Amino acid sequence: MTRVVEVPAHFDDRSFDQFAKAFGDPTERRLLFDAHATQWASPYGLVGLLAAGQAAAERGPERPQLTVPADRDVAHYWGRAGFFEHAKEWFEIHGKVPRVAAAHSSDVLLAITPVRGTDDVHTVVESIQERSAAILSGELGLEATATMGFAMALSEACQNIVEHAGTSGWVAVQAYHWRRRLGRRVVVIAVADAGIGFRRSLEATQSGRFGDRWADATALEAALFQGASRFRDPGRGQGLGGIARYLSRWEGKLSVRSGTARITIVPEWDDANPLTDGLPAFPGSQVLMIIPARQAE
Amino acid sequence: MSRIDLKVILQDTVSNGYGDLVTRPTGKAVRGGVEEALAGLDGEQTAIIDFSAVRCLDISCADEIVGKLLLQYGAARLFLLHGVTASHCDAIEHVLERHRLAVVARGRDGKIQVLGPVAEPARRAFGILTGRGPAAPEEVATELAVGPEVARRALEELRTLRLVLQASDRYTAVTA
Repeated sequence: MTRVVEVPAHFDDRSFDQFAKAFGDPTERRLLFDAHATQWASPYGLVGLLAAGQAAAERGPERPQLTVPADRDVAHYWGRAGFFEHAKEWFEIHGKVPRVAAAHSSDVLLAITPVRGTDDVHTVVESIQERSAAILSGELGLEATATMGFAMALSEACQNIVEHAGTSGWVAVQAYHWRRRLGRRVVVIAVADAGIGFRRSLEATQSGRFGDRWADATALEAALFQGASRFRDPGRGQGLGGIARYLSRWEGKLSVRSGTARITIVPEWDDANPLTDGLPAFPGSQVLMIIPARQAE
Repeated sequence: MSRIDLKVILQDTVSNGYGDLVTRPTGKAVRGGVEEALAGLDGEQTAIIDFSAVRCLDISCADEIVGKLLLQYGAARLFLLHGVTASHCDAIEHVLERHRLAVVARGRDGKIQVLGPVAEPARRAFGILTGRGPAAPEEVATELAVGPEVARRALEELRTLRLVLQASDRYTAVTA
C-alpha cells in the first residue's frame, strides 16, 4: 500500500508544517509525493522536498514516488532550479520531466546544489560571490560590505550540514520580488538535510544541562543563543550566531527548523513566532535566510 | 617583521583553486602553514598575517586561524592582521569576543584598529598611540581628557592584551 503525501499548492516555509504533517512516519508504507497540483515552490520548499525524499528512500520500505507538477511552467521552473537533477536519485518520478538544465537565470543565484563535504562548501562560496554582489548591491541596494558577509553566512549554513547532519543536504539561493508578503525584492537562502537534527547532534554534550527539558526547542535555543556545539573545542558553535548577527545587520530573517521545533530571529517586517514547539516532526534541519532590499527612505 | 601571506598558504596547503578562507578543515590546514612560517621567525618579530588577497573569511576559518593562533602563541608573540576588509573584521570580531582576545588589524585603506572586546578608554588610548606615536600615560591622559590613573589603566589593558609595548614609562602601539 502506498500513502499519498500531498505537496502544498503553494509550497514554501509557511506551508512547510502542513507538508511535514502529511509526511508523517515514512518507515511503514511507500510514499507518493503528489505535486501534480503544486503551483509554486520556493527554494525552501524544493530543498525540503528533496530531504523528505531522501528520508523516505533511506528509512522507508521502497524508494518513494513523485508526481511532476502538471503546470508546464511550474515544472520548468523546478527544472531550472535544479530540482529534478537531484530528485531522480531519491524518487521514482512520474510525469513529464522538462528537458531544461539547471539555469543561471537572473533570479536563480544558486541552483539546488548538494552539500556533501567541505569541497562543496568551497564550490558554493566560489560560485556565488560575483552574482550575489551584483544582486545585493545592485538590486537590493545594500552596501558592498553585505556581499562578503553573505558568503560567510552561506558557508556557515552549509557547514552545519557537513558537521552535524550525519548525511548530505542541499542548498539553493534565489532572488525574487515578494509583492504581497513584503513589497520588496529579497534574496532567499534555503538549506535542508534529512540528518539527525540539532537535538541528537548536541545530545551528548548539552542534554545534561537541561535534564527533562531537553528537546528540539531547547537544542535550537542552545545552538543559536548559547553557541552550543557537540564538540568540546570552545571555538566551536559560533556559526549560527554569526549568521544571526549578519542577518540582523541587514534586517534579515533567520529561521531554523529541526524535529518538532522552529526558532526564528524575527525582523521588524515579519510576524513569525520567535520559538514554535510541537510542530509535526520532520527529519534533519531546515534553515531559511531572507535578506530584503533596503527600504526606500 | 615578517609577512605571512594567507592566500599563498591556502594555495600551498589546500588547493590552488581556492580564494576563500572557508570551512574549518581549510582553516586548520592554513593554520598549520602559518605555524610552520612562525617557526622560522625570530621570537621578537611581529608576525604580520596578510589577508590582502583573501576574499571571503568565514567564522570557522577565523576561529581556526586567528582565534587559535592567538590562544596558542599570543602570549609569546605580537601579531598584526594586515589587509583586512570590513567583512573579515566582522568574522574575526565574532571569534575574539568568544575567546576574550584582541588583536591589531590594518585595513586595506591603511587604517589601524583594535579588534576584539576592549574597553572604550583603552580603544581611545590605542587611537592616540597610533596617531601620535609612543607616549607616556600622562600625555595620553591629557589627550583623552581623563585622569592619569584612567589612562594608565587603559594602557595596561592594552599591554596585557599584547596590543602595545612598554619601554620604561612609554607605550608604543603594535603597528609594524
